[in-house]
Amino acid sequence: MTLVYQIAVIFLLLNIGAGLIRILRGPTPADRLLAVQLFGTTGTAILILLSMEADNDAYKNVALAFALLSGILGVAFARYGQAPRPTSTPAKEG
Amino acid sequence: MNLILTVDVILVVIMLVTAWLALTARDLQRAVILFIALGLLVSLAWVRLQAPDVAMAEAAVGAGLTGALLISTLNSMRELQKKKTSEVTPPADASPTPQEANHA
Amino acid sequence: MLLDIAVVILIFAASFFFLAGTVGVLRLPDTFTRLHALTKADNAGLLLIAIAAALKADSWEVIVKLVIIWGLVIIASSTVAHLIGRATLQNGQTPWEKPS
Repeated sequence: MTLVYQIAVIFLLLNIGAGLIRILRGPTPADRLLAVQLFGTTGTAILILLSMEADNDAYKNVALAFALLSGILGVAFARYGQAPRPTSTPAKEG
Repeated sequence: MNLILTVDVILVVIMLVTAWLALTARDLQRAVILFIALGLLVSLAWVRLQAPDVAMAEAAVGAGLTGALLISTLNSMRELQKKKTSEVTPPADASPTPQEANHA
Repeated sequence: MLLDIAVVILIFAASFFFLAGTVGVLRLPDTFTRLHALTKADNAGLLLIAIAAALKADSWEVIVKLVIIWGLVIIASSTVAHLIGRATLQNGQTPWEKPS
């Protein structure tokens, strides 16, 4: 049974590795933020699987921290991290 | 058959690649995003080292707080630069005075 | 035994959803479509993994924790999707249309 968890964890880690390509290539900052969201969700899933694999419920607390974190990062980035474009109205920000 | 060593090796490889990319990134914004991603991966590594408390601290401080602060710093830097260029460009775009060059 | 089979099936289905999300983020043409792929497929995968973990849970506290995790992720992801979509639209990017 642990083998199933480990295979799933390896698969999800490879997913994260593929998401790195989007961080590198992403033409706009929003695309890079999307890749970070992918890291957050996949990382949460990896942590739940690891907690099942090691039979340790404390790992689920870290998954909780991840879930909270990716949301906060997304809001911070969407609010403050946008590249300035001449067409947008920057007066609304801040 | 136990694949946990494979998990660790893949995690370490992805971590090293991310760290290298974050160090060598030219674009500051890309570097910040890669730093946040690195923080998440380091947190996973702490969990694999059976230290969930440290992993939680790393996720909250290393990736979350530092990442948000870096993003905010990047934003204020960009606004400063925008103000500076809008002040500088009208007179002449050839050779700024030494003082302005120092500030930029 | 039946429980283990159910858990394995759930984990494989979740892996499929995560694969779909990653492929979508990598291959789709613009920010809006990538947003669509990421925020739906990945949350579905996380839900399946959370159900699998809940089936194996020892106590109800763990199940409550899993429900909180999934609720947080779904709230955060929908909020972020809305914010990114609005910011991208304000930046002047128009949604991709099928070239015909």
